[in-house]
Amino acid sequence: MSEALRLAREGAVWVLAAALVAAAIGAPLLAPYDPGLLAGPPFAPPSPTYLLGTNDVGQDLLSQLLYGVRTSLLVAGSVALLSTLLSWAVGLAAGVSRPAEAVLMPLVELLLALPSLPLYMLTVTLVGPSLPHLVLMLALLSWPAFARVVRSVVITERAAPYVEAARALGATRRHLAWQHLLPATLDVLPTKLILTVRFAIFAEATLAFLGLGDPATISCGTMLSRAFDDPLLFNRPVWPWLVLPPAAAIMALVLTAAWMSRALEARLAPSRRVPGRPRPVDA
Amino acid sequence: MSRAAVRLLIRYLLLAGGVILLNFLIPRLLPGDPLHVGAAEGLDSGLPLPATAQAQLRAYYHLDAPLAGQLGAYLGDLARGDLGWSLAANAPVGQLLLDRLPWTLGLLLTALLIAAATGTALGLLAGWAPAGPRDRVLVALTAALAALPEFLIAIGLLLVFAITLRWFPLLGGRTLFVEDRTDLLGRGRSALDIAWHLTLPAAALVLAGTAGFVLIARDVTVGIRQAPWLIVARAKGLSERQIAVRHALPNLALPLLTYFGLRLGAVLGGALVVERVFHVPGLGLLGYEAIRARDYPVLQALFLLSSLGVLLANCGVELLYLRLARRQPALHE
Repeated sequence: MSEALRLAREGAVWVLAAALVAAAIGAPLLAPYDPGLLAGPPFAPPSPTYLLGTNDVGQDLLSQLLYGVRTSLLVAGSVALLSTLLSWAVGLAAGVSRPAEAVLMPLVELLLALPSLPLYMLTVTLVGPSLPHLVLMLALLSWPAFARVVRSVVITERAAPYVEAARALGATRRHLAWQHLLPATLDVLPTKLILTVRFAIFAEATLAFLGLGDPATISCGTMLSRAFDDPLLFNRPVWPWLVLPPAAAIMALVLTAAWMSRALEARLAPSRRVPGRPRPVDA
Repeated sequence: MSRAAVRLLIRYLLLAGGVILLNFLIPRLLPGDPLHVGAAEGLDSGLPLPATAQAQLRAYYHLDAPLAGQLGAYLGDLARGDLGWSLAANAPVGQLLLDRLPWTLGLLLTALLIAAATGTALGLLAGWAPAGPRDRVLVALTAALAALPEFLIAIGLLLVFAITLRWFPLLGGRTLFVEDRTDLLGRGRSALDIAWHLTLPAAALVLAGTAGFVLIARDVTVGIRQAPWLIVARAKGLSERQIAVRHALPNLALPLLTYFGLRLGAVLGGALVVERVFHVPGLGLLGYEAIRARDYPVLQALFLLSSLGVLLANCGVELLYLRLARRQPALHE
């Protein structure tokens, strides 16, 4: 691919990402109505007053959409931070200390072997669907895969000549862990961060669609779930306005995150893409 | 049985034990009281129970026993195949799940097999000429499809093929109010009816699931494209198609088999969500109804059953892998 084309594509992705973030941050200013209030008649078609129309109880869909993107990005950001921190701490601990490894790695293996959606369905229903609970559950159950990566980096690095030299010079285990092993794991963290952003947008939308979204907060997933709760949805002439905008927003969010993770991967470690080795597909 | 196989079985038995223990611990570790539904949202219990009734319920569910006693009661129930009583459906949970299982299993296995087959074929095509136009289009397309949530793909298919074109039904697993006939013709007709209803849900899962298979088959193909035995095959004058199918394809079997096992859990999740879009009466719809009704026993059994199922299938896949890997000791690299 020519360099200009690649740059143009990367630029387009950044513009899209910036637009989504701007919509999320500026939602309170941009939204013409309070998304939770009844702004007009139910099922109003798009008009200058309601640019995307209204939903089954008369809430303005454009305002809901803007706040929905805001919720998605809020969840994604917090989950990514928490989950990255967790997997980093666990991976580092398991790579440095034997007892920690003996306790943590079986847990990692168990969590990785389980199908995640039924686990989310059970835990989120039990604690009650609210935004903080959702963030906590998504973070608590999404760290294992990357904890393994961090641990393997630490183990590889432990055998590196410079670490061995430091050990020969009498460095303590604590010194080795903080001065040499910890910095070595830093360059895999951005990849984990952006992969988890993608995962969290994906998971929040899916769980919200299954009725596990925070009932008090609007997200694109709860908008779709609400539309699909209506048994007569497709008999109403306004159905495209109820279904297409939130679906398009989720699509834009996950695709932007996916493209950004690919661009990041290519920029950070072009040599790590060995032909023949499977790419990481999941977060 | 080889030592590797024994080790594998022990590992999976331990994992299964972990799942059973986790299923026991999750409701007990998470905040909330089973007798106080709604407390998590700051709501009052809808039905204030007198103290005697509360004590009675706690005794009935063994909640007054110490944790070890509760675990004993739980394991005893499990050993008898008792998964609890659904509060919403007022029926044994095991029976509810068993009734819905065939739909999900059928959907899941059909979609996964089709996805694996098409993904392998497309990946071989893409990897045969890496960085060519075909490769680029396929990789970009599959990467985008893999990023989308399954329910979005399902909604897209629904909008195009069920609502705009009207080729397929909007929802359900079969046509309602049609009398079941037991003769051969009637059975064939109802099988066709079910297949017609499940085409779109399965297609959504295939579209979402193919991507990973394409990427792995492609990467392995790129790695072995210049392998000595393929050069020999070329020197013999075989056509490119013969070389690809007869000499390259078998090398994809092992990595794809591993990936097949890894994907099971994710595709199961996809099936559960897609069932909600199309109202297929499988485990996913049951789970959705249970979420709305706060029917914890159903969700717990769903978690237990699907986890054990995925573990069992993965164990089978890994045993098969051991058998196949033994037959070809010198793997490419």
